[in-house]
Amino acid sequence: MNPLRLIFIIVLIALISAFLLVKFYITQRNFTAHHKEFTLALNTFESQELQLKHALLENALSAYQNMDPIAQHVNALLETHHQLLASKILEDENYKELKNKLKELKKTLDIRLAGVEDQLMLNAGIRNSLIFLSTQVYNLNLHSEENIQLYAQAHKILKRFNDTALTQDLDYLTKEDHTLHTTSKQKNIQDFVDHFNLHAKYLIKNFPQFIITTKYVLNNNLSDSISTIKELFRTKALSDFRALDLFALLIFTIFTSSVIVIIFLTTKYFRENKKLRETTHSLEYSLSHDQLTGFLNRNSFSKELTRLARPHLLLLNIDEFKNVNDIYGNNVGNRLIKSLTKFIEHSLKEIEYINIYRTGGDEFGILFENIEPQKALDVAHKLQKQISEHTFVFNHLDIEISVSIASNNIRPIIENADLALKLVKKDLTRRVIAFNEDLNLKKSVKENLKTIDMIKHAIQEDRVIPYFQPIINLAESKIEKYEALVRVQLKNGTIISPFVFLDIIKKTSYYQDITAIMLEKTVDMAKQYPQYRFSVNISMIDILNEEIRNMLLEKLTQNFATASRIDIEILESEHVHDIAKVKEFINELHKTGAHVLLDDFGTGYSNFSYFSDLDIDLVKIDGSIVKEIVQDERKSHMLQSIFDFSQGLKLDNVAEFVETQEIAQMLQKMGVKYAQGYYFGKPAAKPLDNENVHF
Amino acid sequence: MNKLLFFILLLTTLSNAQEPILPIPKQSEIDHPKAKLGQELFMDTRFSSDNSTSCLSCHNVYEGGADSRDVSLGVGAQSGDIHSPTVLNARYNFRQFWNARAKDLVEQIDGPIHNPVEHNMDAKRVEKVLNESTSYQEKFQEIYGVQKILYSHFVDAIVAFENALYTPNAKFDKYLRGEVQLSEKEKEGYTLFKQNGCITCHNGINIGGNSLQKMGTFKEYKTPKIFPDRSFITKKESHKNVFKVPTLRNIALTAPYFHDASAKTLQEAVETMSHFNLGIRLSKEEVTSIVLFLNTLTGDTPSILESH
Repeated sequence: MNPLRLIFIIVLIALISAFLLVKFYITQRNFTAHHKEFTLALNTFESQELQLKHALLENALSAYQNMDPIAQHVNALLETHHQLLASKILEDENYKELKNKLKELKKTLDIRLAGVEDQLMLNAGIRNSLIFLSTQVYNLNLHSEENIQLYAQAHKILKRFNDTALTQDLDYLTKEDHTLHTTSKQKNIQDFVDHFNLHAKYLIKNFPQFIITTKYVLNNNLSDSISTIKELFRTKALSDFRALDLFALLIFTIFTSSVIVIIFLTTKYFRENKKLRETTHSLEYSLSHDQLTGFLNRNSFSKELTRLARPHLLLLNIDEFKNVNDIYGNNVGNRLIKSLTKFIEHSLKEIEYINIYRTGGDEFGILFENIEPQKALDVAHKLQKQISEHTFVFNHLDIEISVSIASNNIRPIIENADLALKLVKKDLTRRVIAFNEDLNLKKSVKENLKTIDMIKHAIQEDRVIPYFQPIINLAESKIEKYEALVRVQLKNGTIISPFVFLDIIKKTSYYQDITAIMLEKTVDMAKQYPQYRFSVNISMIDILNEEIRNMLLEKLTQNFATASRIDIEILESEHVHDIAKVKEFINELHKTGAHVLLDDFGTGYSNFSYFSDLDIDLVKIDGSIVKEIVQDERKSHMLQSIFDFSQGLKLDNVAEFVETQEIAQMLQKMGVKYAQGYYFGKPAAKPLDNENVHF
Repeated sequence: MNKLLFFILLLTTLSNAQEPILPIPKQSEIDHPKAKLGQELFMDTRFSSDNSTSCLSCHNVYEGGADSRDVSLGVGAQSGDIHSPTVLNARYNFRQFWNARAKDLVEQIDGPIHNPVEHNMDAKRVEKVLNESTSYQEKFQEIYGVQKILYSHFVDAIVAFENALYTPNAKFDKYLRGEVQLSEKEKEGYTLFKQNGCITCHNGINIGGNSLQKMGTFKEYKTPKIFPDRSFITKKESHKNVFKVPTLRNIALTAPYFHDASAKTLQEAVETMSHFNLGIRLSKEEVTSIVLFLNTLTGDTPSILESH
């Protein structure tokens, strides 16, 4: 997963969780606060209603009292109701029903409070009359019998009125008359009776309304409404609390799953990170180590070399390792390398501060820092000896190998060691060499470069020229052919022999140019001397080069008339594997009319099998045999054998290096057809005009 | 619950030895700067449409807080429809106005301010007057921290002043606190006040002002003129002639009496009241005693009026 996306997801989850948590906290806190506030107000309202009833009852039972508390309770009820209706909790749509109920409650309350006003008014009137009657009766003058009777009567009636007020029960006011009657003519008695009856009638008239109103203001319809509201609120609130619980559960679930997701992703991330680190490590390892041996590789070697202040290198190469691969196969070759690796490691384990590298296929570098050159050389000798004495065994086969070691601490470290190693490879007398400036190896490199530069300029300035050496028909004592030999003319006119440059140039692309120049100039010369044949040298390896091959064939085809007088001398310098290609080329040559000559037979890589495979016209017998046939009988036998063998195949011979008359005569006597050498003529810029030779 | 109620009832009945009238506290919490500002507003005639009338015009706080005229005169010298009640101790009334239509002093102020025969103003015009006065702007800025004075600030300040208009230390209050003795006649008056049922309506801290009652409970009270009684609010026939029971505090200073200002003296008022509402005729001696008692209800001039 993209780490940015991962971070984004984690941050998103964290934000959502945080948001939900905060939201939940606020919602929960507000709801709880509003719920509490509303419940409290509701309870307050209920208790205030009760207090009002209590105050009213008290007022209805006592003769008179301070009515301030009643007014206060009334105001408190109105205030609390106002509070209830303004409650935050009612803003929620869910509580609309509750709000409506509260509005209904207000109506009930208003009716009740109107009732309270009426009750208080009625109560005052009733109390006034009762107090007044009590005072009247108390103040009655009891001088006469009649008065006493009147008093008893008044007292009885007053008792009835008081009982009615106290019990709030109209049954005390039965149908019997509750007024006073007197026959007294006394003014004060008459006044008393009149006053008494006035109030008695007032009481009788107002008691029923008073009792109804009092009962009304003390009834339970308001508290019933409150109970209903409370119940409704509880139900609503309960469902809200449930919703809150559910919400909490939801948040918990999201939170838990988020944590799980984060743990999962983090674990995954770490696992992948670990994998990546392992991959990186293995990549780094393979970048710096050789896979086969586990040794540090050439890359690390170069790095370490630049790092070290005073490096000392032992460059170790297995002698003839190619043979091991060829004979035993690459598999055993690889195993040998591995075994050798372990052997070297084991052998050098006592030495501190060294690193061993595999610097090439069969090459190892052992790098010391700051070591005495002699000590390093000792290590090299010891290691070389140990390896050459050790027998490696694979598949029950014993393999013994030797190694060459170059020791060097002179910069450039690798180049110098390489040069020294090359040198020791050629030297069969020793296998360990320490580089020193006296080896003068670098000078030859300089000379090589100088030679190549010289040839390059010679080609550019047309100073590559053929020299021609005559080839004599011994039987006819006549020059019949010329062999073209390459020369380079320096600017001062000096002629340079090919021994100086040919080996080096063969390894460069200039060689191809030289071959082309030689052929072209020889063909030109052949045109000038139609009496002679001309031969040109090419090596077997040239034939394998398609470019040279095509160039030769093209050149010969273009000069078809001259081509039949051209001999191509093929020199077998190395073993050629692709004999079919050579064979095909020879056929192509024949088509142009050219003849093919096998050069330097009897030395080097000469091979009789060529005769069976290749369509050859002539065989040139190597000079090393020819020049000693007079003194060395064995050589003359060899020559004779080659001659006889050639005759058998109906091939003529050319003997080279004929340097004396004796050799010429001996060849003539044997019947060898052609000869060339200093005796007959040195190579020269031009063929001789006179073809006759005497010897 | 009923048992509890009964228990409470029993307790209160037993402890009912205390008098049904309470003394005014000697000191009440007053926001003095606001009250002083309110006082200024209370006395400022600019809050009437013709700059003729202030609150003080009908509520002479220096002399009983009511109007000695039968009905007050507002803007354009128009007559009101009822006798001005006292503003002193109005804070202790359970409702305001004769017919108790305002629940408190805040609500009450709207009445006279908007009344076309009193101040004949509205909130906007009051605000205009206020905001055009540099002096008021400074004062409101200082007290309320506002640049633009609102009607609500105006009301708040006046209410603060009205709340300061309480009259403690009436002789009777001192008597209730046990600080002084009443004269025999005064005490007799108080007893008659209770025994004849005056107390059933005139009780509590304001000796009235905590309930509604019908003028003429006992005998129908007839007036040639119709007054805005409780029935104007409740639309109930039975509420005809029903008014808020007025306070008896400082009653000696607030003649004439009743909503119709029909009683010019206290004697007259006591006699009328006892006749129509108590169904009794008091003797001259009894009336005198009650009036003597009523005279003990005059308290100190509110301290706000004495301070500067």
